[in-house]
Amino acid sequence: MSALPQAPEKDPRVQSAISHWAPRFVANGVPLSDFEQVTAGCERWEDWCSAWSARAAQHEELGVQALAQGYKLSAGAHFTRAAVCYHFGKFLFVNDLAQMKAAHTKAVECRNRALPLIDPPGERVAVAYEGKFLYGNLRKPAGVARPPVVVMCMGLDSAKEEMDDYENRFLSRGLATFAFDGPGQGEGEYDFALCPEYEKPVKAVIDCLERRVDIDSSAIGIWGVSLGGYFAPRATCFEKRIKACVALSGAYQRSSNFDGRPIINVEAFRVRSKSANLEEAGKVALRMSLAGIAKNISCPIYLVAGTKDRLTPHTAAEKLAAEVSGPCVLSVIEGGNHVVNNLWYRYRDQTADWMATQLGAARC
Amino acid sequence: MSKDARVASANAHWAPRFISNGVLLADFEDVTSGMQRWEDWCSAWSARAAVHEKLGRDTLAAGYKLTASEHLTRAAVYYHFAKFLFVHDIPQMREAHMKAVECRQLALPHQRPPAVRVEIPYEGKCLAGFLRLPVFSSQTAAKPPLLIMVPGLDSAKEELEAYELPFLARGMATLMVDGPGQGEAEYDFPIRGDYEVPVKAMVDWAMGRKDIDTTRIGLWGVSLGGYYAPRAAAFEKRLKACIGLAGPYDFSANWDKLPELTREAFRVRSHCKTQEEAKRHASTLTLKDGIAKQIECPLLIVTGKQDRLIPWQDAQRMVDEASGPTELLLVEDGNHIANNRPYRWRSRSADWMAEQLGLPRQ
Repeated sequence: MSALPQAPEKDPRVQSAISHWAPRFVANGVPLSDFEQVTAGCERWEDWCSAWSARAAQHEELGVQALAQGYKLSAGAHFTRAAVCYHFGKFLFVNDLAQMKAAHTKAVECRNRALPLIDPPGERVAVAYEGKFLYGNLRKPAGVARPPVVVMCMGLDSAKEEMDDYENRFLSRGLATFAFDGPGQGEGEYDFALCPEYEKPVKAVIDCLERRVDIDSSAIGIWGVSLGGYFAPRATCFEKRIKACVALSGAYQRSSNFDGRPIINVEAFRVRSKSANLEEAGKVALRMSLAGIAKNISCPIYLVAGTKDRLTPHTAAEKLAAEVSGPCVLSVIEGGNHVVNNLWYRYRDQTADWMATQLGAARC
Repeated sequence: MSKDARVASANAHWAPRFISNGVLLADFEDVTSGMQRWEDWCSAWSARAAVHEKLGRDTLAAGYKLTASEHLTRAAVYYHFAKFLFVHDIPQMREAHMKAVECRQLALPHQRPPAVRVEIPYEGKCLAGFLRLPVFSSQTAAKPPLLIMVPGLDSAKEELEAYELPFLARGMATLMVDGPGQGEAEYDFPIRGDYEVPVKAMVDWAMGRKDIDTTRIGLWGVSLGGYYAPRAAAFEKRLKACIGLAGPYDFSANWDKLPELTREAFRVRSHCKTQEEAKRHASTLTLKDGIAKQIECPLLIVTGKQDRLIPWQDAQRMVDEASGPTELLLVEDGNHIANNRPYRWRSRSADWMAEQLGLPRQ
């Protein structure tokens, strides 16, 4: 039995999504059999969002039933799984914004329902930003007074609802987590365009966290995945309240040219940068750059890249590593795909341990 | 390029189980896609296990104990699957098995919650097990209830952490034991149908513990253990509740339809010389002739309606005949143990057992 059924007659956009993202879906909480069945039954890209939403609804229903019986822990796990499935229904579905937003609303709703039920629980936090708000989920480790906190930056198609596994690895090591949707990301994609100058939203987030008495705002780390693997170092170039940075598969300098990228990713970039066409989108991409500023990074940084990454070559991490001023761990993982989701055991715990050390948590 | 039928059979039956019990998807694909002959199974999985073992040992040396425990637990699962049905080459099987035991042993003190290895006196020797206490039992005066967990024909205590964690999270202590014919005990002790005998030894041992509430003991079993647990519950009246996952009602009735690898593993682990002898031995694994009726404690049976090894009707028969309160959780689109639908029963069965053992709803 192949774990990844592949029908030759499939819509190439579906095929592309399957071949790029299977390990990510499973590593981030989609049951393998769900992945196989939903993608096998999906011939056209146009069916993607509804197929995943239907599967998500099954998990949501299990959550509703468990909660009605008072089984909070089970309900929290079901709602989290439902949120991940709804999220993957919408993640690149920019071809039908109404449908995308409906699935997105369900993803946010399910994760919000899970937050008070999961261990440790989470809290939805609004961050004032440019006259409106960005939203994030704050979770604090059990039994730690005023823990350090890791600000978690999403990418082009990830959102805070996908982050449970990453969060748990920081939490179990004594660090609080704040996964937030920045401009152009998750809940921030309707009011705001993608923001290459990511130090701006990160400043707003840290200003907000500094006002809290339940976390140690003198020990703030930042973490970013995929495009967030650019955003996090970018913010670190300017935001000196950041004490350490982890970047996963981020670019050093985006190109104005989208050649070689999957068409659905290119479209997502165009829509989320609120560009009318690819030429405009290319101009936004060009502003995503660490050239000339990487040397401003003086805090410790940990860079992860895969040698088989088809979206961001690992040479981007090598270039950044060569230019930063502070201590740097460069982990180029042989055979790793984008975000090394196929070999996640080579970096997820390791980066969590490293971050805990940088932020002064006890080694465990 | 045609695969060995035994490799194809193992893949077809077990992919969802491997993944849901801790094997990475990319590892499963890499290891099985490159394999043509069943003879390569154990060495291929052992080689992949060694990758995780090295990560674990290196991380442990660096002082990152939690991460090390995760790598080493994973390594143990991989070594376990290397050996799980590899009974045609016992020296190779045993070597992988000992690596599984060693890796998990290294992980035990660093897991959350930590585990300790215990040895339960049994017929002049010992049965090996892991005892884990739930995290918050140290924070309250009340002693936790205990769930005894037993594997099946080809599972062993090193594989089963994914099953164990939901019970620990709900406040039960867990005791995972390799019984006769299982895991570490398979060399000294053959499979026995009257599994109430080893379960009596486990409960007797538990009675001597000061850190658990011995008036609240439940029993859980998976696959062939889905027979062992109800069978023991029919005789061992100190058990307060029982969960059986996809076990046979009468194993000899299923015999002729079982995969070759499974029958052969049963023969070897029953210490039988021939398949005929093994089939006769299988007939001693039974709830027939009024045995099921003797089950009086609450009983939850879980099975998948698409199970190709043990038909779901066996589960139905158990709940129909048991005398106490019963519940049948039949997963319509579930395979053996419904491991393709873990979210339909894993947390729910843990909630059920917590309730039976008097724990508050979490």
